[in-house]
Amino acid sequence: MRLRGSFAIWRRDMLVLRRNLPSELVAVAAYPLTIYLAFGIGMKGYIGLVEGVPYGLFIAPGLISMTAVTAAYSESVWSLWFHRRVQFTIDSYRVTPISVSEIVIGKILSGFSHGLVKGLAVGLVIFAITPFRFPLEHLMAYLAFLIPGSAFFSCAGIICGTVMDKPETIGRVEAVFIMPLIFMSGLFFPLSSYPPALVPWVRALPTTALFEGARQALVGGVFPLVFALQVAVTALCTFVAAVWIFRRKMAE
Amino acid sequence: MPSAILTRSLTKQYGPLTALTDFHLEVDQGSIFGLLGPNGAGKTTLIRILTTLMRQSSGDAFVEGLDTRTQGREIRRLIGVVPQENSLDRYLTARENLELHARLHGMEARHYRQRIDELLELMGLAGRQKDFPDTFSGGMQRRLVVTRALLHEPRLLFLDEPTTGLDPQSRRAVWDYIRSVAGSMTIFLTTHYLEEAEQLCDRIAIMDHGRLIALGSTQELKERLTGGGNVYQIEFDEGAERYAAVLREMVCVREIEVSGRTVCVALEEWECLSEVIAALNGAPVRRISLRERTLEEVFISLTGAGVRE
Ligand SMILES: Nc1ncnc2c1ncn2[C@@H]1O[C@H](COP(=O)(O)OP(=O)(O)O)[C@@H](O)[C@H]1O
Ligand SMILES: [Mg+2]
Repeated sequence: MRLRGSFAIWRRDMLVLRRNLPSELVAVAAYPLTIYLAFGIGMKGYIGLVEGVPYGLFIAPGLISMTAVTAAYSESVWSLWFHRRVQFTIDSYRVTPISVSEIVIGKILSGFSHGLVKGLAVGLVIFAITPFRFPLEHLMAYLAFLIPGSAFFSCAGIICGTVMDKPETIGRVEAVFIMPLIFMSGLFFPLSSYPPALVPWVRALPTTALFEGARQALVGGVFPLVFALQVAVTALCTFVAAVWIFRRKMAE
Repeated sequence: MPSAILTRSLTKQYGPLTALTDFHLEVDQGSIFGLLGPNGAGKTTLIRILTTLMRQSSGDAFVEGLDTRTQGREIRRLIGVVPQENSLDRYLTARENLELHARLHGMEARHYRQRIDELLELMGLAGRQKDFPDTFSGGMQRRLVVTRALLHEPRLLFLDEPTTGLDPQSRRAVWDYIRSVAGSMTIFLTTHYLEEAEQLCDRIAIMDHGRLIALGSTQELKERLTGGGNVYQIEFDEGAERYAAVLREMVCVREIEVSGRTVCVALEEWECLSEVIAALNGAPVRRISLRERTLEEVFISLTGAGVRE
């Protein structure tokens, strides 16, 4: 399979990202850092240790992951919608000798890159304002979650941006599905806080595998293989689904 | 040599709506072909099928002998497309828009840089290449889209309403640019400006409600549809109705229409004009003039005068 078209489209998206990087980073970092300051520092005295670590440390990996995956999702969903419905640039790509799959793969790569860049940027800021330091192996293990996690959310964004024609719908899906899914997955509290009957269900969510797994990898220094596989397989499945759904939509 | 475009029984349905019905069309290579029709006639639908953006419901469509259903990629190598909506990337400068397009066509940087320079110069956009297209006037944006469509030296250029919404000066400028680049390329354009088709096209097709209703050169169409243009306007000082009644009885008068003091007479052939004049002997005739029916009238008479949404 040829990827020349994907690369050209990804290059275009990265050029635009680079051009707006300072303002994008300020906007994207503001939210997780506000949460971090409010909960991690403001509430520190009230919460104490969670699962044996300070609360600020407990939520740090989740905030970085959250930034990455929401950035990947938003970029993909809005970019696809905008290029398809507003600018009609997708049509202008489609009259060149590249395939529809090349277009969607290019857009998935772009969303994914947005996620990684913005997640890492927030990670660096948290690193700079906290005393927490991690060994290199932990960071590597963490990337084994961050990378497929961003890919998963980028693909999910592509699917939503492909099937939804109205911007209101996109906003609602974000508020009703994406944010709750992220917040319920053990970002701010341990899974043990859930009633025991609910725990298996929550654990089955791919976002739980992502957030729990990422924290265990970064803070605990263990590598939760099952969680990692769960995230990777989910990413692969959404990738296949995204390509298939986009191709179907374009064939209409 | 295959035809540049060939469609056979081409049909497209959007749910219950049939946008294109049993459409047969053949366009020769190297010609400038105009497809005329009011809004909603099905012009864009046809272009979207030919440019592989959409699949037909049934029938065949070939571009340069290649089947639109199975040889999309090969077709897209040969065509340039100026869509009805501009589809420029407002986050890229004019030049970056062109560079992206060149890369999607797999052109090498050393090759496309020079080609972009030449085309920008030719299209009068060289001075604005570093600006973003949303700062351009409508005519300049249109020229940029045309430039983009020409970049990879297509054999066949599709233009979907290239000048709709432009002021008369910009429209003429776009025509000049199109003429100057035509060369040996086949150009397929849609429009609802008859003047545009008359000015630019070798052959014209008129369509409405998804059907082809007339096809020929501008001159042929006018002659065929207006009976060769033997239409005269006779203005009387008074009694127009009375004289019209006299004329209506004559064998060589094909059609007659009275509006106020003017009688409009369509003759079978120009030779019977003298008979008409003889019959009007002594009548208070103020003026007789030959009325050239414009393509516009042909168009309105074929597609009806009602406003299309
Ligand atoms: N995507 C679509 N879905 C449903 N109907 C459509 C769609 N696109 C066009 N139509 C309808 O098909 C008919 C032909 O449209 P179109 O090809 O755009 O005409 P034109 O370009 O001549 O103005 C119109 O009645 C239009 O409303
Ligand atoms: Mg149209």
